[in-house]
Amino acid sequence: MESINGIMIAIVLFGIGIFALIIRRDLVIKLLALGLIDSSSVLFLVSLNAEGDGIAPILYGPLAANYVDPLPQALVISAIVINFSLLALALVFVMLLVERYHTTDSVRIAHEVEKERQS
Amino acid sequence: MKHTAIVIFAILLVSGFCMLLFLTSGYHGARGSADNPYLAAGAAETGAVNLVTGIYLNYRLYDSLFELLVFSIAVLGVRFYLNADESQKPSVVRIAESPVVRIAADLLFGPIVMIGLYLIVFGHLSPGGGFSGGAVGGTGLLLCAAALGAEVVARRFHEQIIEQIEWGILLVILLFAIVPVLFGYTPLSDLLPPGRLGTLLSGGTIPIYNVLIGIKVFIGTWVVIYSFIHHRGEI
Repeated sequence: MESINGIMIAIVLFGIGIFALIIRRDLVIKLLALGLIDSSSVLFLVSLNAEGDGIAPILYGPLAANYVDPLPQALVISAIVINFSLLALALVFVMLLVERYHTTDSVRIAHEVEKERQS
Repeated sequence: MKHTAIVIFAILLVSGFCMLLFLTSGYHGARGSADNPYLAAGAAETGAVNLVTGIYLNYRLYDSLFELLVFSIAVLGVRFYLNADESQKPSVVRIAESPVVRIAADLLFGPIVMIGLYLIVFGHLSPGGGFSGGAVGGTGLLLCAAALGAEVVARRFHEQIIEQIEWGILLVILLFAIVPVLFGYTPLSDLLPPGRLGTLLSGGTIPIYNVLIGIKVFIGTWVVIYSFIHHRGEI
């Protein structure tokens, strides 16, 4: 069980996210998969060097040897906020599409658009 | 159908191998103060005990500013596209008020806002910061909207004033970060005395940025939530 750590879980989640993003036709599920990919990359970055007995880089008391590197965690903040913005905006566009075509199926929406263009 | 399956398998394989390669070849993390410059000198240079906050509001301040700009533009986009046509609003019947939600909102709203404020103000001393504290406060408002109805909550915040506060704060943050550079100061370390390490009034201008970002994210989260609710009709 030693090999199961945050990085392995992150890679598996990333694979599931990519798979769902490609193979599912529902736009909302595609957005959920996008959120899953983002979460897995956050998990990957945080657990990259936080294995073993590493402790959070908040420096109270004497300087111990096993504080983890704070740099990846600072980068993760940007990832979380930008993913929130991206998902909110993408959800708005999905809502507009649904109001116009009355379906969340991406293939059917593509057919409808094609039909509109020909007529 | 077979063709797509093969393509998907290939993409999965490639992405998995990319991540594995990245894992094995790349970054092992410099742990301990001996070989990591942030751990060795970060607290002394930024004045923040929480080194993550010290990095994203001092060493990499402009990263965080542009991230805030992305957030603002997303909020603007959500409001613009959802309020585009008021004409064809679907009529959703509001669910009858449940006493459970009402009492839970009464009990929880105060503590939630308190935790949000704590996360914002103590962002340079403990886990937290402007982004997470603002999001916690916005969630508290969502709870309130679920209990009272979104329009009741929205009536207490006048929309014009909220808009002015939101963009005014963004302007203040940008000016605050850019103007000192024009006069030859580095934006953070020279502007305010660093204070005693580990106390509330330390970290130079980091607490100020935390509070400004917290208010901005709080308002932005509420605007996103309210735009969705208003477009749907009722929560």
